[in-house]
Amino acid sequence: MTDLSLKMLHRFYEQLWQIRFFEGHVQRLAASGEVPGFPHLSTGQEAVAVGVCANLTEGDMLFSGHRAHGHVLAKGSDPYATFCEVIGRQDGLCQGRGGSMHLVDVSTGMLGATGVVAGNLSLAAGAAWAAQVANKEKIAVVFFGDGATGSGVFHETLNLAGLWQLPLLFVCENNGMAEFTGREEHSDVAKVSAFAAPYGISAQTIDGNDVLVVNAAARSAIQGIRAGSGPYLLECMTYRMAGHYVGDAQHYRSKEEMATMKEKDPIERLRLHLLAKGDSAEELEAIMQRVKAEMTAVVDRARKAAHPDPATVMDYVYSADFPGREENAKWN
Amino acid sequence: MSANVSSNLAAMLKIRRFEEQCIAMARAGKLPGHYHVYIGQEATAVAACAALKPEDFLFSTWRNHGHLLARGASPGKMLAEILGRSGGYAGGKSGTLHLSANDLGMPTTSALVGGSLPLATGAALACKRQGKGIAVAFFGDAGLEEGAFYESMIIAQVWQVPILFVCENNSIPPKDRKRGQYTSSTLPAQRLGDVTQSLQIPSEAVDGTDLTAMEECFKRLTAEVRNGGGPRFVEVCCSRWPGNIMTWPELPGGDWQIDWAFGGKPDVDAMVAWLSSDPLSLYLKKQLAAGALDRTQIEAIDAAVKKEMTGAAQFALDSAFPEASEAYRHVFAAQESAL
Amino acid sequence: MKITFAEGLAQAIYEAMAADSRVVLIGSSFMGLNMTARKLMEPAVRDYSDRMLVTPISELALAGAGIGAAMCGQRPVVDLGTGSFIFQAFAQVVNEAANIHYMSGGQSKAPVTFYCLAGMRGMGAAQHSHRTQAMLGQVPGLQILTPGGADDAYQLMKWSLLKSQNPTVFICHSLLFTETSELDPNEPMLPVGRARIRRQGSDVSIIASSITVPRAMAAAELLEKQGIFAEVVDLRTVVPLDRETILKSVAKTGRAVIADECHKSFGVAAEIAATLAEDGLSFLKAPVRRVVVPDVPIPFSQSLEEELTVSTEKIVAAALQVLGR
Repeated sequence: MTDLSLKMLHRFYEQLWQIRFFEGHVQRLAASGEVPGFPHLSTGQEAVAVGVCANLTEGDMLFSGHRAHGHVLAKGSDPYATFCEVIGRQDGLCQGRGGSMHLVDVSTGMLGATGVVAGNLSLAAGAAWAAQVANKEKIAVVFFGDGATGSGVFHETLNLAGLWQLPLLFVCENNGMAEFTGREEHSDVAKVSAFAAPYGISAQTIDGNDVLVVNAAARSAIQGIRAGSGPYLLECMTYRMAGHYVGDAQHYRSKEEMATMKEKDPIERLRLHLLAKGDSAEELEAIMQRVKAEMTAVVDRARKAAHPDPATVMDYVYSADFPGREENAKWN
Repeated sequence: MSANVSSNLAAMLKIRRFEEQCIAMARAGKLPGHYHVYIGQEATAVAACAALKPEDFLFSTWRNHGHLLARGASPGKMLAEILGRSGGYAGGKSGTLHLSANDLGMPTTSALVGGSLPLATGAALACKRQGKGIAVAFFGDAGLEEGAFYESMIIAQVWQVPILFVCENNSIPPKDRKRGQYTSSTLPAQRLGDVTQSLQIPSEAVDGTDLTAMEECFKRLTAEVRNGGGPRFVEVCCSRWPGNIMTWPELPGGDWQIDWAFGGKPDVDAMVAWLSSDPLSLYLKKQLAAGALDRTQIEAIDAAVKKEMTGAAQFALDSAFPEASEAYRHVFAAQESAL
Repeated sequence: MKITFAEGLAQAIYEAMAADSRVVLIGSSFMGLNMTARKLMEPAVRDYSDRMLVTPISELALAGAGIGAAMCGQRPVVDLGTGSFIFQAFAQVVNEAANIHYMSGGQSKAPVTFYCLAGMRGMGAAQHSHRTQAMLGQVPGLQILTPGGADDAYQLMKWSLLKSQNPTVFICHSLLFTETSELDPNEPMLPVGRARIRRQGSDVSIIASSITVPRAMAAAELLEKQGIFAEVVDLRTVVPLDRETILKSVAKTGRAVIADECHKSFGVAAEIAATLAEDGLSFLKAPVRRVVVPDVPIPFSQSLEEELTVSTEKIVAAALQVLGR
């Protein structure tokens, strides 16, 4: 865990702040209505995205869900294009078609976030299978919440992955909340990793709020997958510092619970680690301020970006070779 | 001969002879469409249904004939339905795949893999709310490959409803699976109960060729479920009858012969081998060895069953095909029958 | 008494639970993320929480459990949340619920209600904006309720929970919660399967349902300022579909504009247009116009979604077009 270079640790620190500030802007602008819809924040869960993605190469394929900002940024997407997408602008990753819940960036291997709980799991299995038949070293990674384990497709996918020995890393971000319902209320199974064993899939439950723990566990799991040992399920116990969506008043949480949040904050934990390693508080403050300023500039620029032209609304319904393209345009 | 032995024998024979009748009718071109028979699994339905009460609900699959017969359904009305006649349970609208009998607590039968499992869970919810009865869901090993299975198990466990999940595992052993073959269940799990146990549902396995073992098992599990113990899962390890093949069922070696329990042998090797795991033959041999019955008694029971089947076939064949106007009835339940 | 759509729903659910202990709620966040509307559910939560089941995210099994419990004596309503999530439950809704009564030759029935908070709600993007009434209209055996007014939200929900004998998909448009209408609880309910003439008119019939009802009413007001009298036909239910009232209205006005939030091809409006072509051609003084959503997945960006929305302005323009103005 300590074998990481200081440069790498600083990179983690930057990335954590990058996601935190990005989502801070999302939250702020959602409150004023400028970010439309109901964006879902990963505040408090950033360590999972950063820790896992650091082990991926450009060719690896990523799938995420409705809480995807962190995963997209950690996989290397341009924050400007990502923010533009969140506010529905033409410069967005999907030219404004997808929004916060449906971020896609094929250039980085981020093949899709889905707004449907568990909707990404079987897709990831398919991507892993494609990598397997192409005999490539590529792997697929899918991020999902513990709520997704209530869905049958989670089990269908575990079965397929185990059966076909797919190069697939399941990363469960167990934040203990399925939307607004605590896990103890909707499932009798405390640990998601317990689901993996009957399918012959190795699994581990780790502290998902420590980026170093996540990084090390993911590295070892991914090395195993690349070496051909089949799928792996990494359950990261984490904590959603935000509500289910921006505007959720979180009446289901006690004051005491809210007060302990700071101790769980992955950024604070990495900061303390870096201080212990000899970094000065000023140095770390400077990194944070730099990332903050960069992100503010990105958001300012994104807010000035153009909205998509309504005349282009028929674009991308079908790919360009769809035989009914002209007919469609004429009749609609 | 105890009443229990004779009724078990009669119940298993009834299912076997009924299915043989179906195969004969299909051969004669009278049974349209695809169908599935329960030969080789008779003991499961007989043992399970013996543990049930009239207020309980049963859910089955496309392989449902045995469950209905063991529950007491009329072979004539079943056969009429299978032939698409107006005298059938659903007036010819369901056929073999969806055979059901609401008055016996079998309100519908889904022919989709895993299709009945959520419905059965809902029936168990109704039982819990109404304070009587339990639900039993019969399904094959392929059901475990469906997400519906997990979702049903999860909500059954969270809601603690009275349901017994009975998985009749008749899968092709992995070594015999071939590409291009009709699929059999493909789960990495060695014991199916491992999967359900991970959902915290008490799970066990029982020998599907041993009627006596299953009688004990179903009696105990239904009592636990009935007493508010929440859901239970049992894997019934069935032997796969050689006639259960990908396309249409066949009768290797012809109709089952009583003589096969007395040293006689079918002329098909696969059948000879299978008889040592045929629940009906095994039960007979066990009772014979214990001196609980003799050949004359067996022949008398079989003759009665065969007579009943002949009557059922006659009833079904005499039953008219439904009028064309029937096609438009029952799309919606009549509102006037409300409340 | 003036009530809002959300009040009508909450009131119907409360009264149905009070009237019949067989009414069970499988999932209970009927008002989605609308916190004001959610408060309206509090009396039911307070008095009948024992009949509200906490649910994992298992739409398929929850829908099926609703069907199973309905077959065995309960009257459940399954809250599928965002209307698009009914796709996770399609196998049970489409291939089980709809077939049960028919396939059993009338032996069994499943009076279950599937509740969907559906529609183009504003930046829901393609996965949270579906209106499934047209595709579900292709499934014989399902009743499809599409209230467009608070009165019908109350009455149809209450009917579905207490009286209906069939599986029902209740499509509640997310943007209707604040719509108001007059409701006299003592007045007998307009029978299910009868359309409601929301506004009498002589020049053009605007046929609407769900969210297009208030938009059609607003269009009729604007048209009146130009001296055009539009009749607004609120279908209330897509299945059953009241073809008779549609034909009668068009026989009177001679012109038809169909406003519907389903996609254009194979949609609800297409079915109504076909009915007019088959049985009402002689009434028509001008071709029928459909004001519908083009065959495009719903985009996230506001400017793009607005381009596709069935707006009051588009309905007015279509009315003027059929009138040759």
